[in-house]
Amino acid sequence: MLSYNLTEEERILIELIKRIGEEYIRDKALYWDEREIYDPLPIRALADADLFGLIVPKEYEGLGMGVRAMCLAVEWLSYFCAGISTTYAASFLGAYPIILFGNEEQKRKYLPEVAKGKKLCAFALTEPQAGSDAFAIKTTAKKEGDFYVLNGVKQWITNGGIADIYIVIALTDPSKGARGASAFIVEKGDPGFAVGKKEKKLGLRASVTTDLIFNDCRIPRERLISKEGMGFMVALRTLDYARCGAGAQALGIAQAAMEVSLSHAKKRVQFGQPVYNFQAVSHTFAEMAMRLEAGRALVYQVASYIDSGAKDFSGASAMAKCFATDQAMWICERAIQMMGGYGYMRDYPVQKYFRDAKCLQIYEGTNEIQRNVIARELVKHYK
Amino acid sequence: MGDYMLAYGEYYQGRLHPASLEILSPLREIANQLGKKLALLVLAPTYEEVQNNTELLKAICDEVLVVAHESLGEFKDDLYERVVVEVVKGLRPFGVFFPATLQGLALAPRVAGKLGVGLCAHVNALEIEDGELYMLRPTYGENIMAKLYSTTLPVMATLALGAFSIKEGERAPIFKLWEMSSDFSWESKLKIRQFTPAKKEINRLSVAKVVLAGGLGLKKKENFEKLIRLAQLLEGEVGATRPLCHAGWVEEERMIGVSGISVRPKLYIGFGISGAIQHTVGMENSEFIIAVNTDKEAPLVKLAHLSLIADAEKVIDALLKKLETRP
Amino acid sequence: MEKIVVCIKGVPRPGTVKVDPVTHTLRREGAELMLNPHDRPALEMAMRLKNRYGVPVVVLSMGPPNVVPLLKEAYALGADEMILLSDRAFAGADTLATSRVLAKALERLSPFSLVLMGLKSIDGETAQVPPETAALLGIPSVINVREIAFEEDKVLLIRGTDYGEEELEVSPPLIVSVTTKMDYLRPPSFKRILESRELSPKVFTASDLGLSEEHLGLKGSPTQVAGLFERVREAKGEIWEGDPEELAGRLIELLKERGFIKS
Repeated sequence: MLSYNLTEEERILIELIKRIGEEYIRDKALYWDEREIYDPLPIRALADADLFGLIVPKEYEGLGMGVRAMCLAVEWLSYFCAGISTTYAASFLGAYPIILFGNEEQKRKYLPEVAKGKKLCAFALTEPQAGSDAFAIKTTAKKEGDFYVLNGVKQWITNGGIADIYIVIALTDPSKGARGASAFIVEKGDPGFAVGKKEKKLGLRASVTTDLIFNDCRIPRERLISKEGMGFMVALRTLDYARCGAGAQALGIAQAAMEVSLSHAKKRVQFGQPVYNFQAVSHTFAEMAMRLEAGRALVYQVASYIDSGAKDFSGASAMAKCFATDQAMWICERAIQMMGGYGYMRDYPVQKYFRDAKCLQIYEGTNEIQRNVIARELVKHYK
Repeated sequence: MGDYMLAYGEYYQGRLHPASLEILSPLREIANQLGKKLALLVLAPTYEEVQNNTELLKAICDEVLVVAHESLGEFKDDLYERVVVEVVKGLRPFGVFFPATLQGLALAPRVAGKLGVGLCAHVNALEIEDGELYMLRPTYGENIMAKLYSTTLPVMATLALGAFSIKEGERAPIFKLWEMSSDFSWESKLKIRQFTPAKKEINRLSVAKVVLAGGLGLKKKENFEKLIRLAQLLEGEVGATRPLCHAGWVEEERMIGVSGISVRPKLYIGFGISGAIQHTVGMENSEFIIAVNTDKEAPLVKLAHLSLIADAEKVIDALLKKLETRP
Repeated sequence: MEKIVVCIKGVPRPGTVKVDPVTHTLRREGAELMLNPHDRPALEMAMRLKNRYGVPVVVLSMGPPNVVPLLKEAYALGADEMILLSDRAFAGADTLATSRVLAKALERLSPFSLVLMGLKSIDGETAQVPPETAALLGIPSVINVREIAFEEDKVLLIRGTDYGEEELEVSPPLIVSVTTKMDYLRPPSFKRILESRELSPKVFTASDLGLSEEHLGLKGSPTQVAGLFERVREAKGEIWEGDPEELAGRLIELLKERGFIKS
């Protein structure tokens, strides 16, 4: 119903993502979901399409594009399968710390391979006792000469086991509290680093989630990102950038849910007419469309704001993530209802959208925490 | 020039490919109408083995011409081309015809290119009109038959597989050994390092006369199993769309479409198939297309000669019930 | 190893083809063209060889100017150079006239180690051009190949035959047509799509290739269409609606009438 003022590059990007979705994802999404399979083929396709380099700076063989482009790619991938877009977006989450805080050696060592899709990334902050309360992490990183030795457990890490590069937030000085954490690059194969079993999830089942176990994991000190004590700074800044991505995922899922249920409502005849003719139904779709466009407007408004060089955008990105993901959940629930029994059957995709959307309200900072962030930022702006 | 019609007899590992005998049927008619002799050309390692081939003894051609040399035991495109070209230049036939087997598709164009003559592909009917030979084939994926002729001689064509049936002759043909020129080089730029025979039986789907295909509209794997039973009752083969193969309901060899097999059966029934281009490209030349689909707007319904607007599973169940309880 | 050349073809999107009522050939200029789907495996094969051995890849196509986006698509897949063979005189060519043009162009591009083409196009579906072009050049051809590797100065191939599979060793240069089925076909690169916007293919006309009209296009095609006719069949698009049991019964009667079910 609207046009979005896309640049030519953005239009080409969306067309390419749609093409990849149609060729490599659409026919298999429900199958992967049903069997909880991670299929590396679509990831390989995204890598061959140079799409892992979207936000990597040009000097490191990336495309040097911004959050807006990343959101467009993630939104349209999510339209086809949010499990795949989670694998993709989570890799950016893991790449951002290196892009934003890495030194020259680290950037030159890791970013080209990330841009070419040869290595996937993961971001590890959460622990069993530290979810929303991120500061409660206990994983330690003890300096021993030219090495750091990590001990601890990270929980529910996306891309666990399939990533080659893991950004791990660990305490270098437990006595300093929030100022005592540091960010490290851990590589697959580092001694003492193991990956737990693949978790069984409600949704996003095509993506892989595991624990990470550090048992005297020994890494060279060059793996420290920025300085000791900068851990939470790195983490929170990274999350600020990536939050829009979660919002974009929500848009893609909601778009798909609305389209499928709308198409059904136009064909399903009850009481002698398509059910879309009944106001209870058509008004629901009107509501879905409004909320979706509102979410879209907010996500891309914030993305453009970040790309324009904004320094302080935690509140804005929290709004985009929280609003879009809450709307997606509402839209998916209504989509199931509008499809009636068909919405409940696993042979149809709408139930998958619903289960996929739920996670978005939880990860990358629960929507409760997002509201905390917004509230905190509000008083800064409106005294 | 032109006393002969020449057909290519594909001979490999001691066996004559049945397609070589199939193509003799229409060629026999044409040869009779034009008053020409029909010869089958066979390239083999030895003359004796060809003379003793029981199927050739029943062939309806007038002659079997054999080129025998040890290097002909394996199919080498460049060498075979040079042999056939020399035979054609010596025999000067009116027409040279190949079966559209992989070997025929590899060899006929080389021969035509070398001779600088036209080559018609996948011809499924031959006609004489006013003394001119016309070759017919379906074309351009639309439901159109093209009637082709050649402005050059010899007339050349590859004949579609499964379009003709083998006829047996009452008299054995005359076998002749064709002597190649003394300075003919038997060298080839190809060397065959290893041959692995096909593990499975030749896929009958591509030559089936009746094809039943299933798509996502079948909804459950059990319905595909029912489709297989139905196909058996109708003496047909079963095919599927790409999503079903990817979902693991059936092996990839049964995929009909752009990345799978093309079928050209007399009867094609698509159950629960929407008719995405990837699929229709592989079956749109079927003679009689029936679609069973709940969606009247589905592309396959638009393409089909006849459409049953109903749930595929229910129709299959009903068909099975009626056919399985017949006396 | 010398460079690889991939020959691609633009084919009308199924459903958009129009046949010229006078010449009985495809009106390609008006039709919406897409990359022949069977050419994708050929391009994929070329890119795998490029990635593995560092051999450059040239893509070429004979067609009208609306084939240029397809050449750019091949560039986006990884081709290094684009060549368009375009001339009014080429139009309406059968496989021999086409092969003559390709053979001349390939001579111009020599030396090359390998020419890759799709097994067949989805419009003509003859599969003839690769071997025919090879015969005109006097080089070997192998069709239906699923795997290629370079070993010193030789090209190793695995081809599918009606009897199984063969592993072959061939002295280059040669022409290969690639099997239609491949385990994976890469998508185009976003980076290269953006780059291709500024690029144009090199164009060769008939005179650039030193070809005279009598060997080209419709005039130079020994295969001619005498006529086209609709296949004899039932009325188009009959629709039956109703109860599945009843429909099944009607269908069985129809199939009996047609001889598909023995009564």
